[in-house]
Amino acid sequence: MKNPALALLGAAACVVLGLVAPLDDYLIKLLMQAATYAIAVLGLTIVLGYTGQISLAQAAFFGIGAYGVALGSTGLGLSFFAALALGTLLAGLFGVLLGGSTLKLGGHYLAMVTISFQEILTLVLTNWVGLTHGPDGVANIPRPTGLVAAPRYLALCLLVLFATAWAVGALKRRPLGLAMQAVRDNELAASVVGVNTYRVKIIAFALSALLGGLGGGLFAGAFRYISPDQFSFDDSVVLLTMALLGGVEAATGSVIGTALLVLLPEWLRFLRQFYLAVYGLAVILIMVFMPAGIWGFLAGLRPRRVAMPQPGGLVLGRAAGEGALLEVVGLAKHFGGLRAVDGVDLRVLAGEVHALIGPNGSGKTTTLNVLSGLYRPTGGSVRLAGREVAGHAPHLLAAAGLGRTFQNIRLFHSLTAFENVLIGAQAAGGAQAAERAAAALDFVGLADRAGAIAASLPYGHQRMVEIARALAGNPALLLLDEPAAGLNLTEKQALGQLLDRLRGLGVTLLLIEHDMDLVEQVADRITVLNFGKRIADGTPAEVLRHPEVVAAYLGEEAGHEFA
Amino acid sequence: MSIALQLLFTGIGIGAVYALVALGFVLIYRATNVVNFAQGQFAMLGAFGMVITTEGLGLPYWLGILLTLAAMALFGALFNLGVYYPLRHRSFLPVVISTIGASILLTNGVLATYGPEPATLPGLTDLPGLNFGGLFLDSQYLAIIAITLVLVVLQYLFFERTLLGKKLQATSQDKEMASLLGIPVAGMIMLTFVYSAVLGGIAGILVAPILFVSVGLGAQIALKAFAASIIGGFGDIPGAIAGGLAIGVIETFGAFYISVPYKDAYAFVLLFAFLLLRPQGLFGEKVSQKA
Amino acid sequence: MPHHHGHSRCRAALAGLPLAGLALIGSVLTSTARAQDILIGMATPLTGAAAESGRYAQWGAEMAVAEVNAAGGVLGRKLKLVIEDDQTSNPGIVAAFNRLASDPQIAVFLGSIRSTQVHAMDPDVRRVAKPVFFGGTDPLLTQAGDPWLFRARPNDSYSAKVIAAFGVETLHLQKWAIISSSDAFGSSGARLLTADLAALGIKPITQQSYPNQAADFTPVVLSVKNSGADAIGSYFTFEQDLGVFARQARQFGLRTTWVGSPSIADTAALHLAGPALWGTYGVADFNADSSPETHTFAEKYLALHHVPADNFGGWTYDSIHLAAIAIAAAKTTEPAKLRAAILAIQGYKGVEGTYDFDAQGDGLHGYNVVHNDHGKIVFVKRVDFPKP
Repeated sequence: MKNPALALLGAAACVVLGLVAPLDDYLIKLLMQAATYAIAVLGLTIVLGYTGQISLAQAAFFGIGAYGVALGSTGLGLSFFAALALGTLLAGLFGVLLGGSTLKLGGHYLAMVTISFQEILTLVLTNWVGLTHGPDGVANIPRPTGLVAAPRYLALCLLVLFATAWAVGALKRRPLGLAMQAVRDNELAASVVGVNTYRVKIIAFALSALLGGLGGGLFAGAFRYISPDQFSFDDSVVLLTMALLGGVEAATGSVIGTALLVLLPEWLRFLRQFYLAVYGLAVILIMVFMPAGIWGFLAGLRPRRVAMPQPGGLVLGRAAGEGALLEVVGLAKHFGGLRAVDGVDLRVLAGEVHALIGPNGSGKTTTLNVLSGLYRPTGGSVRLAGREVAGHAPHLLAAAGLGRTFQNIRLFHSLTAFENVLIGAQAAGGAQAAERAAAALDFVGLADRAGAIAASLPYGHQRMVEIARALAGNPALLLLDEPAAGLNLTEKQALGQLLDRLRGLGVTLLLIEHDMDLVEQVADRITVLNFGKRIADGTPAEVLRHPEVVAAYLGEEAGHEFA
Repeated sequence: MSIALQLLFTGIGIGAVYALVALGFVLIYRATNVVNFAQGQFAMLGAFGMVITTEGLGLPYWLGILLTLAAMALFGALFNLGVYYPLRHRSFLPVVISTIGASILLTNGVLATYGPEPATLPGLTDLPGLNFGGLFLDSQYLAIIAITLVLVVLQYLFFERTLLGKKLQATSQDKEMASLLGIPVAGMIMLTFVYSAVLGGIAGILVAPILFVSVGLGAQIALKAFAASIIGGFGDIPGAIAGGLAIGVIETFGAFYISVPYKDAYAFVLLFAFLLLRPQGLFGEKVSQKA
Repeated sequence: MPHHHGHSRCRAALAGLPLAGLALIGSVLTSTARAQDILIGMATPLTGAAAESGRYAQWGAEMAVAEVNAAGGVLGRKLKLVIEDDQTSNPGIVAAFNRLASDPQIAVFLGSIRSTQVHAMDPDVRRVAKPVFFGGTDPLLTQAGDPWLFRARPNDSYSAKVIAAFGVETLHLQKWAIISSSDAFGSSGARLLTADLAALGIKPITQQSYPNQAADFTPVVLSVKNSGADAIGSYFTFEQDLGVFARQARQFGLRTTWVGSPSIADTAALHLAGPALWGTYGVADFNADSSPETHTFAEKYLALHHVPADNFGGWTYDSIHLAAIAIAAAKTTEPAKLRAAILAIQGYKGVEGTYDFDAQGDGLHGYNVVHNDHGKIVFVKRVDFPKP
């Protein structure tokens, strides 16, 4: 729906459908219910579909919006739209508070927190009679002047739904939407390529709550009477099911799912008392046979279009200065009694390729995780380009010029190769980000695979996309964790050449690698770790002849790859 | 003082019910990393099984229990095959939704076939209970507390002392490694579902004489039990028991000393507090993310 | 994916579904013509929390329809019930009612016994502008100016009046504890009872409300016991809660005289609570011994359905008969005339009591007081108030 004319046409269709179509009252009510629910379900598209965070409290936000309209208009004497704004913002505010306090936990914890919020809200709505009118609910909720007639109000609901669906759909390809999907697909990777994952999650949660409130506010006007039992946990489950049924990763899916589940019980009325049982069965069958939901299933049948700009040459803007780019002193990371990194010193000179080697379990990856901010160091100092950065969050380190890749590749698997790299380039902003991403993808030789879904790429290509993604962030220092692992001989040679070309761009490399041929070929300096401590440091020639190094490797790997 | 003791006893009794259902949650979670939202309905089915066998077929109580638990075992297997197994390779969300679908199906399936009238079920004994100078100990609550205790001990012995138990543990800790060791992972998961269904059935049979038998039995209990297992540190068996007891006691005291209408909120407020201050649960250790 | 055939067709159909597809179902749903029958639409819970009572309501209505038809129908036409499930929820009954109302041939409707559902459908009732009989007992329902709502049960202001009057004046109880559900029914009942006791110069010494499906009543029982109350007035919504409370009250030795709202004497409560309710009093809009008409109905109901009759079947049974009388008197199903005919019904002896419709649409103005004598509900007396 990129075409504005198309958008206008759709909006006009909503109004016409509401005003002109010969609908009886039963259908109008049903359509109002479907439209207002769908707006709330679109909130779930954002929080669950895009960001991958479960929320079982959408009916609570829906209820806050509904009560905002009901109490704002009947009690405070606000106009309908002022009350709607009040309810919507209030829902958003609760979303921020709830999200802000608990989003650091994920998965089942978030499920339980949202359930708790839902249950507590239901109790408050029922029992705080002075504020909410208690279990009696609120009656005679006014509709906005001029929109009192049911068809007109329906037209309003459909119009808002259309606008919301359009906006939510558009969000998916915007930088914020991409960041959300990055968080969903791989939160760690998202953080090291510069996404402030916590902030993105809170925004998603807040937007979702806002839409829940908006839908609820319109719902209050549609039915003109609300009571606490309409916004219970069961209703949250219904909203969630609507999202999943239609396909939670697309706005269209949410609308389809809502329409279907509002209608399904009506269609199944002939089953009488069995219909809710059949509804439950249908939910299971859909999960089993149509995992991406109805729309996901249909959308999966057509190829994805990608709008990638013509790639230009990759220019890294942070030219290497002189001296040490990274200076690590006494770095320590302990897990309980385990000293995974135990007082390591490391000095990486600007413009060099520096290799970090050592037997398995020697603390290399832990060191990298501390340097890139995934772990907080237990002690020691880390200076990047002269600034102390120990303990900084990953996205701040990314902004400070640190990029990294992972040993077990962490791509955003459901996004295209180009989108993966684009997320890494966001710091550049706008059109420049797209140009930088295109250049980075071209640099690793994968411009022609820009539109391929990351998960579908061969292993070697996935490695390259990950490197391109890190490069797109314009790093001064690039940390590569075993880039050659799992590559075949040809790919390894290509990697060696790539590393040389990288050096040509002026980027400094810190490389963990087991493949000693590669290390000898590219490294200017080598640091060797064993049992969390540095045992050697120097040029390849010096280090590889160091007796402790030889002993460590012989003991560990019996000369494997080290002839 | 006697009021506090009375509340404590009732709280422990209710808490034992939460703990029993939480145990089922935890077992399935450990085996499959999935929260089974139909666990409460397992209890409901167990209670209905008793009504059908004892009231409907006129069988003796003990035979009713045996038949019901056997039926629950079979049901657990079917549940695994229909609701979990087809989704076993997917992320946790589709499975959770699938179990939510199952809970809707079970509730309304029973409602449609059995009918909506709540039924009564006699307790394990005809004794009304014990009276200690004004302190009343309901016999059914005593039975629930005792049976929960016995089950916890038996389960501990089973997991720690038997080969099958160890295989189950290995499966729950690392499925890939377990299958490399030649443990039939699918079979172990099947066994977990069977046992959890039986546990749910026991909870239903025990609680039905107090709360009556209706399709709504179990839903609210399950939510509290879920909270209990989180408070206990997800996947931690002693934690789930302690969490269940804590919720039972706190909500009973809260109802008496603070407010009855907000009774159901205490469990969730407690949960909030735990998640904010001690997300690793009562006894758990904090687990770091791994890169 | 294994299914390769028919994708495009399926996709086109589904893509059109969300908005345009909705319009299509209108034609599918419109009912076929049944000109010979007078249709009565009934929204009742077949699923959800109140599904139990929904079945009784359906039975009562069906019995009355059968009787009217056996006696030759109305205006030479047969009555026919059209039933929709209200799912025991507010959106459910709004959908069910609108669904029924989309059939222009339906002349009269039966709404819900749950007040919150009647509140929810009220805006639509005004719009549809056809008579709706209902059983919800929240007094406000007939006071909000909807001319199309007619109550076939006495409202809670009368139940509270009767509980207070009987308890204070007949049983001479002074120290009252009020126990009520925190839902709309319970809280409104507790409010009214407090007011009626105040009118008799009594302030309750404790007031306890509980959430539905409370599972445990120990704190409530202990609070009442501690308060030293000599009377309990109660508004329990669900029989399960009443049963759990009654049993725990016995266990903790709470023997206070108890006068409860109608649920205390209904079939389900007697079945669930058993001996725990022996000796209690209740107000009941329905009691088999309260009149010969009720007695006849109760025997017939028992013979047909093998459960004792209660108010769930009683009010729907009366509603059908009231509708038939009004249609016969109005000689038409035209709504305005039908409304006038309903309001003109005076002195009709139904099974819920004698109907004297007042201007607001309330048909009944009193309650029976009953006593639970070892599990048997014994009629004590009928207390009627003059219509306002």
